[in-house]
Amino acid sequence: MSAGGIHTSDPTTGAAPDTLPATRWIEGTPSLHRITSDISRPMEAKPGRGWWICFALASAAVLNLLGMVGYLFAKGIGIWGLNNAVGWAFDITNFVFWIGIGHAGTLISAILLLFRQKWRTSINRSAEAMTIFAVMCAGLFPLIHMGRPWDAFFIFPYFPNQRGPLWVNFRSPLVWDVFAISTYFTISLVFWYLGMIPDLATLRDRAVGGIKKFVFRILSLGWNGSQRTWSRYEIVSLVLAALATPLVLSVHSIVSTDFATSLVPGWHTTIFPPYFVAGAIYSGFGMVLTLLIITRQTMHLERYITVNHLEAMAKVTLLTGSLVGYAYATEFFNAWYSGNVHERFHFINRATGPYAWCFYLMVLCNVLTPQVLWWKRARRSVPLLFVVSILVNVGMWFERFVIIVVGLHRNFLPSAWGMFYPTVFDIGILVGVFGLFFSLFLLFIRALPMIAMWEVKGVSNG
Amino acid sequence: MSRRPTCDEAMPRGDGHDAPLVQIGLPTGARSTGFEATRRDVLSLMGFSLGAIGLGAGCRAPVQHAVPLPSASTEMVPGVPNLYATTCGGCGASCGLVVKQRDGRPIKIEGNEASPLTGGGTCAAGQASVLSLYDDARLRGPVWLGNAVSWSEIDRHITTMLGGGGSDRRAIVLLSPTINSPSTRAVLADFRTRFPGFRHVVHDPMSLAALREANRLAFGAAVVPHFHFDRARVVVALEADFLGTWLAPVEFSRQWARRRTADGTRGFHVQCEAGLSVTGSNADLRLAVAPSELGTVAVALLAAVARRVNDAGLAALNATGLGQTAPHAAAIDRVADALARHRGESLVVTGSDDVATQLVVGKLNALLGNIGGADGPIDLARPSLQAQGDDAGVPALIDDMNRGAVSALIIWGANPVYDHPDGLAFRKALGRVPLTISFADRRDETSAHVHALCPDHHFLESWGDAEPVSGHFSLAQPLIAPLHDTRAGAESLLAWAAPAAGAAGAGKPADHRLYLRDFWRRALYPRAATAAGFDDFWERTLERGVVELPGPAVQTHAFAGDWQGAVRDIVTRASRAGTDHGGYELALHETVGARDGRHANNPWLLELPDPITRLTWGNVASIAPATAAALGVATGDVVTLTTETGKLELPAFVQPGQDRRTISVAVGYGRWAAGKAGDGIGANVYPLARVENGVRRYAARVNVAKAGRRARLAPAQTHFSMEGRDIVQSLTLASLEHEHEHEHEELPNLWRERLHGAHAWGMSIDLDACTGCSACVVACQSENNVPVVGAEQVRKSRIMHWLRIDRYFDGDGEDATTVHQPMMCQHCQHAPCETVCPVLATTTSSEGINQQVYNRCIGTRYCANNCPYKVRRFNWHNYTANDDFPYNMTSPLGRLVLNPDVTVRSRGVMEKCNLCVQRVQLGKNQALLQRRPLADGDVATACQQACPTGAIVFGDLADAGSRVSKLLAGRRAYRVLDDLGTRPNVGYLKKIELKEKA
Amino acid sequence: MAERFLVGSFSEPGPMLAAVATLRSAGVAIHDVFAPYPVHGLDQAMGIRRSRLPFVTLLAGLGGLCFALVFQYYTAVFDWPLDVGGKPENSTLAFVPVCFELTVLIGGLGTVGAFLLRARLFPGKPEQLPVLGVTNNVFAVVTHAPAGGNEGPLARRIMLENGADEVDEREGES
Repeated sequence: MSAGGIHTSDPTTGAAPDTLPATRWIEGTPSLHRITSDISRPMEAKPGRGWWICFALASAAVLNLLGMVGYLFAKGIGIWGLNNAVGWAFDITNFVFWIGIGHAGTLISAILLLFRQKWRTSINRSAEAMTIFAVMCAGLFPLIHMGRPWDAFFIFPYFPNQRGPLWVNFRSPLVWDVFAISTYFTISLVFWYLGMIPDLATLRDRAVGGIKKFVFRILSLGWNGSQRTWSRYEIVSLVLAALATPLVLSVHSIVSTDFATSLVPGWHTTIFPPYFVAGAIYSGFGMVLTLLIITRQTMHLERYITVNHLEAMAKVTLLTGSLVGYAYATEFFNAWYSGNVHERFHFINRATGPYAWCFYLMVLCNVLTPQVLWWKRARRSVPLLFVVSILVNVGMWFERFVIIVVGLHRNFLPSAWGMFYPTVFDIGILVGVFGLFFSLFLLFIRALPMIAMWEVKGVSNG
Repeated sequence: MSRRPTCDEAMPRGDGHDAPLVQIGLPTGARSTGFEATRRDVLSLMGFSLGAIGLGAGCRAPVQHAVPLPSASTEMVPGVPNLYATTCGGCGASCGLVVKQRDGRPIKIEGNEASPLTGGGTCAAGQASVLSLYDDARLRGPVWLGNAVSWSEIDRHITTMLGGGGSDRRAIVLLSPTINSPSTRAVLADFRTRFPGFRHVVHDPMSLAALREANRLAFGAAVVPHFHFDRARVVVALEADFLGTWLAPVEFSRQWARRRTADGTRGFHVQCEAGLSVTGSNADLRLAVAPSELGTVAVALLAAVARRVNDAGLAALNATGLGQTAPHAAAIDRVADALARHRGESLVVTGSDDVATQLVVGKLNALLGNIGGADGPIDLARPSLQAQGDDAGVPALIDDMNRGAVSALIIWGANPVYDHPDGLAFRKALGRVPLTISFADRRDETSAHVHALCPDHHFLESWGDAEPVSGHFSLAQPLIAPLHDTRAGAESLLAWAAPAAGAAGAGKPADHRLYLRDFWRRALYPRAATAAGFDDFWERTLERGVVELPGPAVQTHAFAGDWQGAVRDIVTRASRAGTDHGGYELALHETVGARDGRHANNPWLLELPDPITRLTWGNVASIAPATAAALGVATGDVVTLTTETGKLELPAFVQPGQDRRTISVAVGYGRWAAGKAGDGIGANVYPLARVENGVRRYAARVNVAKAGRRARLAPAQTHFSMEGRDIVQSLTLASLEHEHEHEHEELPNLWRERLHGAHAWGMSIDLDACTGCSACVVACQSENNVPVVGAEQVRKSRIMHWLRIDRYFDGDGEDATTVHQPMMCQHCQHAPCETVCPVLATTTSSEGINQQVYNRCIGTRYCANNCPYKVRRFNWHNYTANDDFPYNMTSPLGRLVLNPDVTVRSRGVMEKCNLCVQRVQLGKNQALLQRRPLADGDVATACQQACPTGAIVFGDLADAGSRVSKLLAGRRAYRVLDDLGTRPNVGYLKKIELKEKA
Repeated sequence: MAERFLVGSFSEPGPMLAAVATLRSAGVAIHDVFAPYPVHGLDQAMGIRRSRLPFVTLLAGLGGLCFALVFQYYTAVFDWPLDVGGKPENSTLAFVPVCFELTVLIGGLGTVGAFLLRARLFPGKPEQLPVLGVTNNVFAVVTHAPAGGNEGPLARRIMLENGADEVDEREGES
């Protein structure tokens, strides 16, 4: 095809001529039809045993979650291990953890789109799906951690406001959270759906009729691949990407203000926004790696989710992991440099107190583990990447736990010091939410194209 | 309304006894033949139904003859509290009270400011005693041989068995703790005339018999003198917890606080004790002394003082050279200096159970000229009547019972089976007595084994009087007609004494109120030098609650005790102790919560953190850190304590300040028949004490061994060190002189000051006056409907108290110093909690109160996380209608104690101190009604009102002239965690270090 | 009225692009091109000018921003001013996050809404496929071919020359 003015004007693939050949991101050169049928296979074939086992486990966890949340609503927050000293623990830890997970999806689909990274094409769809599901899991916790969840609607400035002129407190980071998370969820959902419309049309046209065709016809909004629509479509994708990029940065920055705007030692620090964003992307990529490594095996999509993809993600993991490690060091330096007795005590307590083991586990997983990714062979070894990705997830969960609980359990007045010990309900709900996340994802890969066909086609034909 | 019906008309008389007339009985609406309901009827109906909800059948409102204060209104207006003066029945001290009554039920105990003794203070137990009124474990009526019967029937049984009187010489014995009620003493006299064999045995679980005995030997009067700590520049207390539990702690705290001035006249307080007591924790100089060394220390002190006042008669004593061998020799010399400097205005007091030691101390006081005189620190002429326990009584009684010399035993308020070392023997002996009667309000350890249960009223239901200190009288009037079918003890005695007295209407009980009134007319009114007629005198006294009627002085002579003998005795014992210096010593003590155990079923007291250990729900064996290390024992390890008289397992508690050789254990726990809340809490240590030549000993040799188990304590505070943070600040008198040190610079305000309304409420807490006695904690709980959550929740650090008293130790040796700091919401003007609440459920009111809006709160707990003082309390569970929490809030009877002015919080909302906003509102309304501006002092918070030392001052910071403004502008004022810029409206006054004196 | 179209199907994007370029230079009016994915350079070849949807984004975003500012200011300062931690009623800095979020939210939704309207995409709309497989692997060029005009034959020739698999004539509503 003739280059020239075309590249400059075409956003999706306007990479410099020296870009690696697109085929690097696909094994071989499958025909367009082959791509369609390969990617549609998981949705048309019967699920394998592997899928069923995973789904059974996941949905069992979901049942457990339902039961425990029901009991929680009946009995009250008292069934958790929280107390006067430690008002937040597993609940908010999980919340921050899942919000963080979501970030990789948006990053891959939006930021890499802006940066014209072709390798995003075959992973962005599932990454975005992961974002949606992660945000759903995260959103659960602000609700159930409330003392009176049935009054949760108080937190929205709804209209008409029957409570006279009593609105919400826009100075509270929790209200910022409400807006940030709902915006984030909405935009991600729209972005995800919009990106799926052409593929839905493809599926519609593959479907041999019946309910499937009907549903896809509704969902595909009558898409027919008209170039006039395509050209607007790409502009809109670009606009959404441009909006989602600052959004994704803002979301975890705002979540971090839940802590940064307070005066709790270990929370009250200005590096939290960037530190949390880096951590979020880090944990997000960890989760994407975990999911894709599993699905590419079970769904036989090695051709589209290549080792090159994994290596690229491994590089991002290494980068963000190192950023996080740097942030840990900075916190300690600041505490020492501030000379503030409470700050200093907090960090000494973090490293030597009763929760020190959590701290060292976190350092091991988040700072030391990713360092193996300096070696190319490590980056390209699927089993090793899998282990790393799991460790990263564990480490990032503990990072939030350390920040929240160690910050609270011993601060200003020694008379009010306490300890947090999780109960069976804390742990059960933690497990249950993982179940929820995985069941949603497992359903997704059966019901919807987990790889953006039209984008892969675009890449495959350069 | 034309006339109000009386209860007698309103409802069928349940039994023989006289139901009192009511001032508002059943609302006329309820029986409205020939009535047209007026607005007033509706109001009273509303008010009545409020009261009636829990009262159930017993609709009876307070008796007409009770005189509320102010006397203006004798009416019960729904929703408007009435205040009645009465006398506390919580312990022997008989403090004057003013009880708040709402809609016909007493809901809050307050101190009677008219009382010259207490001046308005109360103690934790007194504050909590209102809850005991609504105790589910109380008997509902008389019981004969295990069957509920009517009063007339039980009277028939008892009168027949008491026999024809006159001829019968066998003993009828009344066993009771100290009775300081003159009218009751008159009743007993009457009873004695009816039954010549009648005898009264006084048994105080923690008695001062040794002191009385020593005074008999020394001054010829077996009395407990009236101490005036405020008249003493130097106070030396040997094992006397006079600020916490000893004799009359409320009165003594007040006196003691008067000497805590921030200038040169400040008192110097030395405490020598084994276990750390509330008093010791407040001493300027504290010396850890094992019980066996206490006598030695007294002798050494006597010797040292003798040298300074070079009293020839004491030369021999110096020869013994004890001053050198005694522990803390150097410190004792300094103390002797101080004592010698302040002869006639110093006070040495000891609660020792050793007569010899008491004698030596008596000699010491005599030598220092502290005894007698119009303003002497020790008043023997007008002694205290608060502790008349006779330790020899119970053992003798047990013998008599076993010999069958006792025909009838009446137990009134005593519980020897539980709280006497020979309790078991006593229970066995009970079986040998033909007729045993108990006035106990419940089926307790002792009354479970008697024939007749004739339950007495709760003191808030009954008439009565008291003479805590001779010449000081206090009246008691009922706040509510009896909830159950109970009868005043005195009335029972009168009923049984009556028949053969040939009085008209035999069999009909004499009305106690009339008897009391008559007694006062005969015996006390004449002593009142007043022109007023008796009726005025009576009314005025009832209204005021207290009156001073100087009586004849007790005749005593100068010190004539055999102090040399006492010294010799002590020295020989000390030397013997020196030879077989083996195991440890056990020291029994009272705590401000449990006291002697009579309040054991009171959940407020069970959950009250001990000011020293900060433990709730149980007692422990306090062990010095060094000793614990030697024994390899850690806090929570169960240890076995073995004495000659018993054996006991208790969790150990490593206690800074504890004497190395002594294991201290609190009495008052380990009851097995107190009631649902109190049974099986802690262990009963009374059996480990013993009676030794007529005096109960509260110390014994003990062997300590690890039991190899661990117990789960329920601490309200787990960390004892301040970690070098200046949370509790102090300064020395010297530095107080230098102005410049006290310019504390105001942090800049990031925002423009917000304008307040008419007031800016604030509070000042004097850390130098606060003793940690915890009366305020219970007062707050009572005023604000703070739920009891139980040991398990306390373990999870979910205790709900809005006001807590933090306690920090400096060091952990025997010389560890202690500070107490009441901590509640600081009402920050830049409140961190408010900014983070998403739903505006907590904001600063226009009057500077940080307020919590329960029905807006959704329970994110962000505010609590962001509160640097950690004073916010979250309702983790539903504490009000929940079987998991079987305390007063979940019992229909127990709910009657709830304050209608304060919301009972639901599950899942945050709560905290709101500076008793309901009291503020009441004060403002009253000022409004009287068309006057609110004056400083019109409003007192519950904690302030309860405080015996006046450490807490509440007021308007917007008024520069108010006390609180002045205090917080003073040089000692500071704010906790000031550097956070939270700008609290609650400030503290720095503690004063007097260490340089020592 | 029914209109007549020529539909040329290609299996490769390259020839299709060339065909479109030649058609346009030959002055044949191209109705539309249908492709399974956006083919680079086709816009220029067809002469589609850049969409103006970003302006919608700008306007919607500004709308969201203003709404957020006004709403927060109104609730915090006018409707019920409260003393929250001693902070000023108009705590502008604290209002920034919500302003940003609403800008993004309303900006994004506005853009997508405008796009769906402009492209006439809505649930249940019947898809109009020139040939089957344009959503899979076929590229279809559709030109106007009025009856009796010479565009028809011309276009057919150009497309076949450029390697169209087949070219056939259709009638349909434009």
